[in-house]
Amino acid sequence: MAFPDFKQNYFQLFNLPLEFALDQGQLSARYRQLQQQLHPDRYASTSAHEQRVAVQYSALVNQAYATLNKPLARALYLLELAGMSQEQIAAEPMDGGFLIEQMELREKLESMHDLVDPDSVLDHLVAEIGGDIRTHQMEFSQAYTASNLDVAASACVKMQYLEKLLQEAEQIESDLMDKQ
Amino acid sequence: MALLQIAEPGQSPVPHQVKLAVGIDLGTTNSLVATVRGGRAAVLPDEQGAPMLPSVVNYSDPSAAVVGRTAQAMSSEHPADTLISVKRFMGRGREDANEDAARAHYQLADDAAGMVRFVTAAGPVSPVEASAEILRVLHQRAIDTLGDELQGAVITVPAYFDESQRQATKDAATLAGLKVLRLLNEPTAAAVAYGLDSAEQGVIAVYDLGGGTFDISILRLHQGVFEVLATGGDTALGGDDFDAAVADWVLQESGSQALQPGLYRTLQARARAAKEQLSDAESVSISLDGLVDSGAAVVLTRAGFESLIQPLVKQTLRACRRCLRDAQLDTDVDNVVMVGGSTRIPLVREAVAEFFSRDPLLDIDPDQVVAVGAAIQADILVGNRPEGDLLLLDVIPLSLGLETMGGLVEKIIPRNTTIPVTRAQEFTTFKDGQTALVVHIVQGERELVADSRSLARFELRGIPPMVAGAARIQVTFQVDADGLLNVSAREAATGVQSAVTVKPSFGLNDEQISAMLQASFSHAEQDKQARQLAEQRLEAQQLLEGLEIALAADGDALLAPDECARLHQKMSLVREQMSGEDVNDLRIQTEQLGQASESFAARRMDKSIREALSGVSLEALDDGVSE
Repeated sequence: MAFPDFKQNYFQLFNLPLEFALDQGQLSARYRQLQQQLHPDRYASTSAHEQRVAVQYSALVNQAYATLNKPLARALYLLELAGMSQEQIAAEPMDGGFLIEQMELREKLESMHDLVDPDSVLDHLVAEIGGDIRTHQMEFSQAYTASNLDVAASACVKMQYLEKLLQEAEQIESDLMDKQ
Repeated sequence: MALLQIAEPGQSPVPHQVKLAVGIDLGTTNSLVATVRGGRAAVLPDEQGAPMLPSVVNYSDPSAAVVGRTAQAMSSEHPADTLISVKRFMGRGREDANEDAARAHYQLADDAAGMVRFVTAAGPVSPVEASAEILRVLHQRAIDTLGDELQGAVITVPAYFDESQRQATKDAATLAGLKVLRLLNEPTAAAVAYGLDSAEQGVIAVYDLGGGTFDISILRLHQGVFEVLATGGDTALGGDDFDAAVADWVLQESGSQALQPGLYRTLQARARAAKEQLSDAESVSISLDGLVDSGAAVVLTRAGFESLIQPLVKQTLRACRRCLRDAQLDTDVDNVVMVGGSTRIPLVREAVAEFFSRDPLLDIDPDQVVAVGAAIQADILVGNRPEGDLLLLDVIPLSLGLETMGGLVEKIIPRNTTIPVTRAQEFTTFKDGQTALVVHIVQGERELVADSRSLARFELRGIPPMVAGAARIQVTFQVDADGLLNVSAREAATGVQSAVTVKPSFGLNDEQISAMLQASFSHAEQDKQARQLAEQRLEAQQLLEGLEIALAADGDALLAPDECARLHQKMSLVREQMSGEDVNDLRIQTEQLGQASESFAARRMDKSIREALSGVSLEALDDGVSE
């Protein structure tokens, strides 16, 4: 099962400019178009070999779409294309203020189960985390455009922290919903 | 449209002819077969005009299994020999199935491999074999009605089926002599049936509550593409559980103890009838005649019934909530589609309507909608609709992960990832000179291996001895469009390749399947040979035709002269072999030609991507932007 020999990067594959800002509508339209062409269902009555090739290409298009579709994955991919390794990104120093903020948010989240009316507090917290993530996305976009990769990488790490927190908040939300 | 068959209009060498293909809904309670004829999809009834085949198989006569209504009628007299709701046991381990088996009063055979086998008068029977009997009847019905052998079938499975349950379904089809074009998720099939009829755009929720399984899927339909955004459910929750709740209530109410298996089956049938009547009636009387000494009757009101099933309905709504969250919608769903016989229950309809704040769509018979959708997909897959650009993009329902140190699960492909999907993961050795590595694949959302479903455990052997941590073993996981997993492994430093076949921990291996096939074909060994040869010739024919067109179109542009010559040489070898009688030789030659043409196919695929993108009109793009 060899991976398709595909030299284009995901942005080229989708005919999109190499930048963080993304036209979501265009991405989706291209995605549908590529899958219309490459999905294994289009090759169901052909030989097993062709079907295998189609599975590989279709999987690649799915992978590319999933990467470009999510802001954090897209940002990390841009850094990877710019030559930064995962280790380099993770090694970016974090400023103390951000870490303290993180700890505070986490404490709020952990005390959620003890509250009488956790729903509204949780909603508020989720909105706060979402806002923070958008701030760092802007930060990333500006730094990346200015080729300031260290700042861009540091924004990425912050997004990673916050996304993780958001996932935990959503998990608590779903636990609460299941209890109702 | 085919990769190697991209031809200009009018250039096609094969005259257009309709190919026979069917959609099969292999249900817990009933199974159906449907096909598209004259542009319309419809269910094929049996000789008596009944569209539904009860999914019941009786093994009282060791020489011939009985399927359908006749088998159903034998259920009370021969409870152990009459298998109902076998779908609930598909692909499950013996330990896991004990509780369900006890409730249904089946005896399970001891099995060293941990597989489920029912003890019957005809010997031990696996759920796969019983399902194959059902499929065989539907296959024959389709051949009789349509007048010829089929090109293939799309078989539906609950969206929430895991890898082993899917593999078991495919194995059953193979046993029944069916070529599986695709395993299709039931809610997706239902969406297709509705989507095509109404040309809907927007977000659709499909609530599918059948006899034994529950699925919820959220899909987005846009310009002929059905994109499944999220799916969820429970593969052991359905109408059977409602019947059991009623039956248990009756026993409690009448103060009786547990019944004999045969009598319990009778009570279950009466409970089901009561449930069905309560969709219209306000109350029903359930007779205990012949079941308990007092022989009286108990009265069940609709309100009483609703309070019995309320917890189960609530359980389905919880799954809906999680699925909606997974779909990450910023709008409401536009339509709710109801599938499965259990959605006839008024309480279920009301609860779903309230949950989604939408009146559900009920235009298509909820028992038939899945088979109809599957038939449409089968029609597309065999190429009967060259103009039809309907495409289904489905997802995996459960995360795939690997066991790591300390019995923890590391997720490699999260749930609701669009398929097909390929992920590579790198491993290394932790001892000097280590030459083998065990990889354990699990499925599910839990963090501990102990809480997850074990899919497969395999050993990578032949790693060249190196110091600890020096070997780099890349394991590639691929989930195909049927939702089935393939794994391959490669040691990066030396290029040692090892192909791994993943067979579910509780599934049948290929030898077992061919042994079963052999047994079922033992009377017709020659038929089998002839069929294999015919199939192999078809495969060769397809490859040759495709290549000829492809070479005519792109051979000069994409191939060097010597590459071209090599392909032509291999093609003439296949052509020679096609007139021979040797299946194996033909298979090998075809295989070699296929391999030789793969890189050409890939180059054409690249070219068609470029064309797809450069051929985009501005209007089409604007359309996409304004969505």
